[in-house]
Amino acid sequence: MPKNKYLLLASSLGVLALLMVSAVQENFLKEWRKIQSVGMSDEGSIDVRLRQVINPGLRVTDRCVSCHVTMGAGEGSVRGAKVLVAHKAVVHDPTEYGCTVCHGGQGLATEKADAHGDVHFWPEPMLPARYSYAGCGTCHAPLNVPNSESYRRAVAAFERLDCYACHRVEGKGGTIRPDGSGMEGPDLSRAGLAGYDRAWYSRHLSKMETAPLKAWKASFAPVTEADQQLLGVYLSTCVGASKLVEAKSAFHTAGCLGCHKVSGVGGDSGPDLSRAGEKDPALADFAHVNGPATLANWQAEHLRSPLSIVTGSQMPSLGLDDRDIDQLVFYTLSLRRREVQGNYVPKDRMRAQRFGEREFSSDGGTVYGTFCAGCHGLAGSGIRSPGLASFPSIANPDLLERVSDQFLEDTIRHGRPGRRMPAWGDIASGLKLDEIRSVIGYLRVLSGAGHKPESAAARWVKGDPAAGKALFASTCAGCHGASGEGAEAPALNNQVLLNSATDTYLVETIGRGRRGTVMQGFVDPSPARRTLSPHEIESVVAFVRTWEKKGKP
Amino acid sequence: MSTAGPPPPSRLDPEPVPRRDILGLAAMFSAAAASFFALVGMLRMPKAAVLSSPSKRFKAILPDNLQAGEAFVPPGRSVALFRDGEGVYAISTVCTHLGCIIKPAQDGFECPCHGSRFTGDGSVKRGPAPRALPWLKVSHTGGNWIVDEGAPVPPGTKVQA
Amino acid sequence: MTPVSPPPESLHEFLENLKAAPRHIYETAFRSGKPATDRSRSTFIFGNVFLHLHSVRTHRWTLRWSTTMGLGIITTSAFLITLITGVMLMFYYKPFPEAAYDSMKDIHFVVPTGRFMRNIHRWAANVMVLAVILHMARAFFTASYRKPREYNWLIGLGLLVVTLGLSFTGYLLPWDQLAYWAITIGANIAQSPREVTDALGITQYFDPGGLQKLLLLGSDVVGPEALIRFYLLHVMILPLALAALMGVHFWRIRKDGGLARPADADKRLGPPPAGTCPIFTEAPQRTYHLAAVVRGKTPAVNNGPENTVPAMPHLFYAELGVFMLTVLICLALALVSDAPLKELANPNIPENPAKAPWYFLGLQELVSFSAFMGGIGVPAIVLLGLGLIPYLDRETEGTGEWFGGPGGWPLVRRSILLGLGSTLLVETLVIRFGWLREWFPTIPQLIITAVNPATILTTIYALYSLWLIRKYRSTRAGALGLFTCFLCGFLVLTIIGTYFRGPNWVFYWSPGDWPKH
Repeated sequence: MPKNKYLLLASSLGVLALLMVSAVQENFLKEWRKIQSVGMSDEGSIDVRLRQVINPGLRVTDRCVSCHVTMGAGEGSVRGAKVLVAHKAVVHDPTEYGCTVCHGGQGLATEKADAHGDVHFWPEPMLPARYSYAGCGTCHAPLNVPNSESYRRAVAAFERLDCYACHRVEGKGGTIRPDGSGMEGPDLSRAGLAGYDRAWYSRHLSKMETAPLKAWKASFAPVTEADQQLLGVYLSTCVGASKLVEAKSAFHTAGCLGCHKVSGVGGDSGPDLSRAGEKDPALADFAHVNGPATLANWQAEHLRSPLSIVTGSQMPSLGLDDRDIDQLVFYTLSLRRREVQGNYVPKDRMRAQRFGEREFSSDGGTVYGTFCAGCHGLAGSGIRSPGLASFPSIANPDLLERVSDQFLEDTIRHGRPGRRMPAWGDIASGLKLDEIRSVIGYLRVLSGAGHKPESAAARWVKGDPAAGKALFASTCAGCHGASGEGAEAPALNNQVLLNSATDTYLVETIGRGRRGTVMQGFVDPSPARRTLSPHEIESVVAFVRTWEKKGKP
Repeated sequence: MSTAGPPPPSRLDPEPVPRRDILGLAAMFSAAAASFFALVGMLRMPKAAVLSSPSKRFKAILPDNLQAGEAFVPPGRSVALFRDGEGVYAISTVCTHLGCIIKPAQDGFECPCHGSRFTGDGSVKRGPAPRALPWLKVSHTGGNWIVDEGAPVPPGTKVQA
Repeated sequence: MTPVSPPPESLHEFLENLKAAPRHIYETAFRSGKPATDRSRSTFIFGNVFLHLHSVRTHRWTLRWSTTMGLGIITTSAFLITLITGVMLMFYYKPFPEAAYDSMKDIHFVVPTGRFMRNIHRWAANVMVLAVILHMARAFFTASYRKPREYNWLIGLGLLVVTLGLSFTGYLLPWDQLAYWAITIGANIAQSPREVTDALGITQYFDPGGLQKLLLLGSDVVGPEALIRFYLLHVMILPLALAALMGVHFWRIRKDGGLARPADADKRLGPPPAGTCPIFTEAPQRTYHLAAVVRGKTPAVNNGPENTVPAMPHLFYAELGVFMLTVLICLALALVSDAPLKELANPNIPENPAKAPWYFLGLQELVSFSAFMGGIGVPAIVLLGLGLIPYLDRETEGTGEWFGGPGGWPLVRRSILLGLGSTLLVETLVIRFGWLREWFPTIPQLIITAVNPATILTTIYALYSLWLIRKYRSTRAGALGLFTCFLCGFLVLTIIGTYFRGPNWVFYWSPGDWPKH
């Protein structure tokens, strides 16, 4: 039957043709083949084959080096195309660590778009080049990072004292000895991780004695106590990733841990951010996001205005400028994790996880900046966002003059149960006692207000609760809620508040108010609201006291 | 039957010589060619294009205090590196008998499997090993020592920094 | 007594033998010689262990393209292609959850021709499922299941089930989100008898659903046990079962006298082409080789053997031609479309919508109304019905004819309209207005199991079929109507399940309307 013979002939020729097409595709048209075929090394053209870096300890099989040839193991320099050149000098050798541990992307792939992770169904695209150091966060957790202001001052001190004259940090500075036998002073790039001589200043002093020339004498010493402390802060942040540390210091200024947890430390109001840098962009909602559909852009837009991006968000708009947002995005992208084996677990992560060392430094300003600033504002003046409960002004002299350190300690430790203020001393992810105390010290310094002790007893008010109830309903309930449960203004029926507040505190606050806030004193006449006589104030206080349950909370 | 046509062809008659079936031949030939190419393509598949073991070329960092004649074995590698006045050299620590990994010893190498002994430059002192241990290629590029386990070099090749 | 040859001559003989060895090897391997005579063409076939499953002569009616559309050969070819590419893939695939996905990436990116092989494998599998369904439809519409071919129809049903099983088990192996959640759904469908046993309160005593799921998964969730089980089924148990059933299926074709033909096939074919030798000469010198003399008629006795042609070369050209065509289609599809591979399977992030493979989407649509009916009930009814067809339709009119039997094409045409129309109508009602639980929230589950679009459609088709039986006084007419309705229903439901169901199985006109997370 000739029909079938024609069918066989035509199909076979078709199959042959398609096999040829496939053979050409396989052997000539692959991206990595085309790239490698122009590569030239010292020994002539390079061998065109698939290359990969394998590290079982890090669970890495990275084929990036099929195109980025010189970054591979045991390769001399290969010329011919920009993609073939060597990796710039970094702490961790790419031929041992692979690429995806730091850069993200899809190591198993051999085509550019797939390898860079810019395809559907790969949840971890490569980090943008400017955020490369965010990749350090995959394994590392820099410890004792201060807030931005302290960090900037520390960096400035290092520069100001001309330490760069002898010491190299991340490729900057340092001098070679005249006899060529090495550097004048040790490279401090990783002093914070590797450790440094704590008695360095006495060493410097003794060097000063033995220095031959006057000019040399002056370069070692003297360094004031304050500057020594700043230098100590700076050195502990020298881990070889200054951009990351700077971004982390911004994180420790914006107060994010007040609501979010990272690595088991922080508040519970918002989502846990420990792996926020690994979020799959395909699962994020870009409905109201301007700009490209990348994770970095989502984070940036979200920080700019959280409620526009996430419906029903309780996150206040922090009024951050572009630079702050960039830093915070940088840090958030570093919040990622990869399971690594034994000897690859870095010391800083071990110290943080096993020994409970803190990633933030312990001075009051940093603790405040890490936990409190997000709600209570950078200057402690509180935040009011429309539609959300307002956060009180706490570095307010009118508050701080009237309360003892014990009151503040109780408030921070036990929080405001039922409201947004967590019990920082009572939760596992919260603050240690000395950290709480350093915050209190910081608040006092910030406001310039020490405690003005009062002579009266804690409970002395004898007012008429019934009258107080009526007055409360007409004057206070609008902001404080009908039963004092709090609306725009703080909750007054809160047990922790009532147990720690003295009557004087309540009377004075009602009478004189809090400067700079909506709570104006009710003693002085004002056209805006009703004036209360001292007796009326006492009645209101007596009414408020009826909400108090006796006994410690 | 007088008007019967020619008798129907019978199996007893010799078969007429068939005309060459060009179409059929062409069809079968192209089918065979297609199958052959498909087979060749498929046979390529089991040969792995990349090996899942770490690369044979690797970077080695010699300890500063390595004495002459003292062996340095990079962790996880079957190579012993030496440095003396004439330079750096590498000797394979895979026994030439049956492939056990040998240990550097006092005056050379010792194989725990069947007792082969080698001198400090790899030649066989004693034992079932048939050949000397190969010396491996060492190069110094970009400030690093690169050792290539897959590239043997003549014994005695030492490389200066 | 053998004389001892002088040394030069024995060496000469030795050298002669050595020189002739290649030719002798060929001749001893291929003993039937070139198939240039009818006799050698016959020997070519029945002298070869692989080929002698074929009969020596093929009826010319069988070889017409319009008789079968080559669908059986397409199915077999697709199976061979999946078998070969599957074995190649086995060199690299690792059936453990922590390695499976990465091994798929390796196959795609670094294994030489890996991407091509995998694509071919996946497309050939789809071609096989489609072809087997169309082949079944062809066999039904040409009434080829009639006596003596009833049992072969049952074997064919077995082949259908094993084919679907092969496709389903293979679906899990990539261990990506698509695979994981599709199989999670499949396993829960296996558990759907619980819908009935729970409603009756007897689950703790009698739990076939739980047992089925446990046997399938080896655990209560899709995990390493399920993967290794599915791998075993996919690469060994089911292919062997398929091969065995295929052997029976082809053997039976031969024993049943070839493919079914109309009674007047010979007349319609016309005279054989010039040069075709008659099977029986005017003076037979020999008979066929017979293994034994058996009582009874051979199938060839009452039919005109003159219309058979030697299987070698005619059938082989047909088979090879269709095989190459199938290869061509699979290669072309493999070059233009990659097999899917989504993200790594993540038990914490369900796919939404999580869809079964396309041939089960019609069922999944029904499952959305009642898990039991869609997953177990309707498929069981369908399989039972299909299996009974040859035993209920014992008529003879129209065997071997397309749409043969009372009613013919007009009946089928009307059944298509009814099938499409009724399914679309019921679906529209359900999509627009919801179903019983939306209107009566406290209604017992058993009522919903009994009354839902699946049972409603089945009832409509059954009633239509009974009406046809009465009207035409023919079971075949009823069967024609019923089969056509089910086929159309399957088509509509599959299309709806594929294109119009989005997250949470809500109806959307297009994927653009799906809500984002």
